[in-house]
Amino acid sequence: MTALENFKKRAKELLAGGHVDVVIGYRLGTTAELRRTVFVRSAEAADQLVLDGHCRENLAGYLTRPEVWDGEGVVAIFVQPAGIRTINILAAEGQIDPQRITLLAFELAGSEAIKELPGSSVDDFAGLIENLKSQPAETDLAAEIEKLESLSPQQRFEFWQEQFSKCIRCYACRQACPMCYCRRCIVEQNQPQWICASAHDLGNFEWNIVRAFHLAGRCIECGNCERACPVNIPLMLLNRRLAREALEAFDHFAGIRPDQPPALASFKQDDPQHFIL
Amino acid sequence: MAKILRKDRLNEMISRLASRNTAVFGPSPEADGAISQFRLMQTSDEIDLERVLTRLSVKSLFFPRTEPMMRFDIAKQSIDMQQILPDEQKRVVFGCRPCDAASLAMLDGLFNWDYADAFWNRRRENTTIVSIACTRKDDFCMCTSLDLAPDSSFGSDVLLKAASDGAGWQVEAISDKGRRFVESLGDLLVEQNPPELAATTVVEKKFDVAKVCEWAAQDENFESDLWSQMSERCLGCGVCTYMCPTCHCFDIQDEGNAYRGVRRKNWDSCSFSLFTLHTSGHNPRPTQASRWRQRIMHKFNYYPSKFQHRSCTGCGRCTRYCPVDMGVAETLQAIGR
Repeated sequence: MTALENFKKRAKELLAGGHVDVVIGYRLGTTAELRRTVFVRSAEAADQLVLDGHCRENLAGYLTRPEVWDGEGVVAIFVQPAGIRTINILAAEGQIDPQRITLLAFELAGSEAIKELPGSSVDDFAGLIENLKSQPAETDLAAEIEKLESLSPQQRFEFWQEQFSKCIRCYACRQACPMCYCRRCIVEQNQPQWICASAHDLGNFEWNIVRAFHLAGRCIECGNCERACPVNIPLMLLNRRLAREALEAFDHFAGIRPDQPPALASFKQDDPQHFIL
Repeated sequence: MAKILRKDRLNEMISRLASRNTAVFGPSPEADGAISQFRLMQTSDEIDLERVLTRLSVKSLFFPRTEPMMRFDIAKQSIDMQQILPDEQKRVVFGCRPCDAASLAMLDGLFNWDYADAFWNRRRENTTIVSIACTRKDDFCMCTSLDLAPDSSFGSDVLLKAASDGAGWQVEAISDKGRRFVESLGDLLVEQNPPELAATTVVEKKFDVAKVCEWAAQDENFESDLWSQMSERCLGCGVCTYMCPTCHCFDIQDEGNAYRGVRRKNWDSCSFSLFTLHTSGHNPRPTQASRWRQRIMHKFNYYPSKFQHRSCTGCGRCTRYCPVDMGVAETLQAIGR
């Protein structure tokens, strides 16, 4: 049986047996390369599930949407390792109950084949995530980041100025990000208006930098934001850099356990303090 | 006899227009991280004539994503306010697509509804739209479903159709403004027997829009389950509304301090969760389903009842750029069934 056939079987059993209320997965989209999120609520409907190399979207953000799941009952969801880390973070931040989530975990292996990861609750994957921390995946970003870091701060500023000038403030990055679940985002506060809502260079810089910082130590680099951006801003460069900062400054790898204290909302005795004292 | 604009005379056209203080805007290429949109063109090789459709629509040239409306200075006894209107720069948009041109005509009614919007009108009056009919399409194009076509002239001042030998375009003046423009080009255009034209691309209909509008107009369908079914994966971002050439909602923001500032007009989106949040705290559109319903109803029911046009040109950007592969086609096809 292929991984997909096995997953479909599991999904059908979960639904038919009344073990879950909904299975969040993927189905075919408008073109051959596109996939759509599907919310399967019956065993028959599970036939439309697909799983292949085009299924890159991190679906875990839907776990905090009341229209999809009210937080009660049980939900099953297709997740890659980034999705597992997402669930850990959302649990650590008190947004969801990880015991109510059945994980249908998979990995996109190099040649785009699907590898089923054994387990069904977050705790089953603790070892897998620990390994990710010590053996970070190779990314294509390494070369680009190296190039950026060889630039002077002024040159780097100009690079980002140019990138952020494209921003149209559609907030697709925010809406696609599973960690952006605030019901009222900081940019939607207007007493006072902390961040310029206008899509001019200053406002765009403020928005993108603030969002990057609000994700420092929380971003698990699923790539949803960069894929969602309609104007191709290379957000993953920022995310990668800040994730590296969190690791170097606080030995913090986001989403390692569902009870992991958030990096910027907790204090350890050995936290670096050279900039305070 | 037909008038032909040869490709190798495009540069001359741009310089001639520049000498008459007329700026030429054309589709810019998507390269080096920049995205395809309408930019000021100094030479013809900056113009991307190959791409099916620009990413950002022509709307940005008339209704930019942010623009200043006025500046204010607050003194002890008085407030000095100065309106900031767009300049009266003469412009030609060269290489607009029929779907984008149509959007401009569709929005004229809106921007002259309860009052005449100078920001829109000034730019419209001073701009000539020269469209190029489409010989190619992609999977997301759906102009024909909206009773438009890849060679429609609706909204264009001049319509160009490519000659099959690739040497240039047959030029057709559509409006009075277009006729004046064509005349002004004088000997830049060659008069000859009508050339063989490149085939206009064929865009199959994706849905029956008349059926959709009929369904949407029925009161009981306001409460249909379809809205929550179709919108379940919608993220509530602003991509579809911002990329859409006919979407026009805006937010007004004052930027400054207690002494001086600028009032700006910015794009806004009915997809945002707080779009209809009242000061009381009540939100009449509290769910993504109610916001999705608003989007479809506005385009296919409310707008046509006021302005005689459905506010959709079938350009497909909503689907092309939606992060979760939504867009109006899926919903409209479901309604059509």
